[in-house]
Amino acid sequence: MILDDLAFRLNEYSGEEGTTFDALVTERGILEVVCSNNDEFPIHLTTTETQLLSVTPLFSVAEVQPDKLDELNRTFLQLSPAVPLSSIGLQGDTYILFGSMALSTRFEVVAHELEVQAENTIDVLEAVEHLLA
Amino acid sequence: MGVLRDMLTALRGGASEVGEAIVDANAIRILEQEIRDAESAIASAKQSLTRMKSSEIKLKREMATLDADVADYEQKAVAALNAGEEALATEVAERIAELESDRNDKGSEQAALDAEINKIHAMIKARERTIQKNKRELDKVRTVQELQRATESVSRNFAATGSSSHRVSAALERVKAKQENWQDRMQAGEWLEGQEAGDDIDAKLRAKGIGASGSGGANDVLARLKARQAG
Repeated sequence: MILDDLAFRLNEYSGEEGTTFDALVTERGILEVVCSNNDEFPIHLTTTETQLLSVTPLFSVAEVQPDKLDELNRTFLQLSPAVPLSSIGLQGDTYILFGSMALSTRFEVVAHELEVQAENTIDVLEAVEHLLA
Repeated sequence: MGVLRDMLTALRGGASEVGEAIVDANAIRILEQEIRDAESAIASAKQSLTRMKSSEIKLKREMATLDADVADYEQKAVAALNAGEEALATEVAERIAELESDRNDKGSEQAALDAEINKIHAMIKARERTIQKNKRELDKVRTVQELQRATESVSRNFAATGSSSHRVSAALERVKAKQENWQDRMQAGEWLEGQEAGDDIDAKLRAKGIGASGSGGANDVLARLKARQAG
């Protein structure tokens, strides 16, 4: 199973900027990764037949100031092209930051993408923090 | 039909609750069934292609034999004519006509077979396109399902703690504090390295008798006192 292998290698690995990873496959088969550069917002990894998906749940719609929802959505649409390697989306009632990679992606590249996604999470949240309740 | 439009319809219809199937399981089964159908259609088409191809090869071989026979009899007919055997030449000419008609029959049979083979090739290509398209659609569905699964566990935590306001701000502050802390430690580490490097240079200088006066403090003091007495 690719996620088990990924978890094992991430736990042993240290990124170029000194980032380390705590990786754990949950009983529901999702790989939860905590990056040392952002340990408050873990990244959840899962796979389809062709892709490796990395998801960082950000916050729920209920956590947005009700009259700021439109502004938040517009801000996210504007931010999205500027955020490298990650996209912003809405999954159910939860805003998420996510990336997708081919299953054949090299391990070092996966680790780097996770590092960047953890970093992007902080940037994105800082940009919209004032719109949250 | 596009899966994305189905998903949006489902979402607008209120299937946004976490854990609720965004895409109808039936739609997935239909896509998978279509892939299986297309795959078995391709498999049987390839079998009939093989059969047709071998018939075609056989036909071509027979046509070549007939062509050779016609050429042979033509030479013989000419020889008969040259020998003045008009009746024999006519008999040979009749034989040639028979062979030619036989050859033409086989020629049109082969053309029909060729057309059939082309049709089957086109059909296989179309089925392969269906398979690729359905696989892409399925991957979209799986992506959405997996995103939903990956989001689910954490959103439940949001539901539990989300009511406490400033959850995100508090988390952000903790992250930034840790980052600053880490940067401070990095700087401290660099400072320490610099100090150690500096100490090292001083030690080297002392070893060469350069810079601060080295050992023999008592001798220096005595010399200083003697100098003062003399003064």
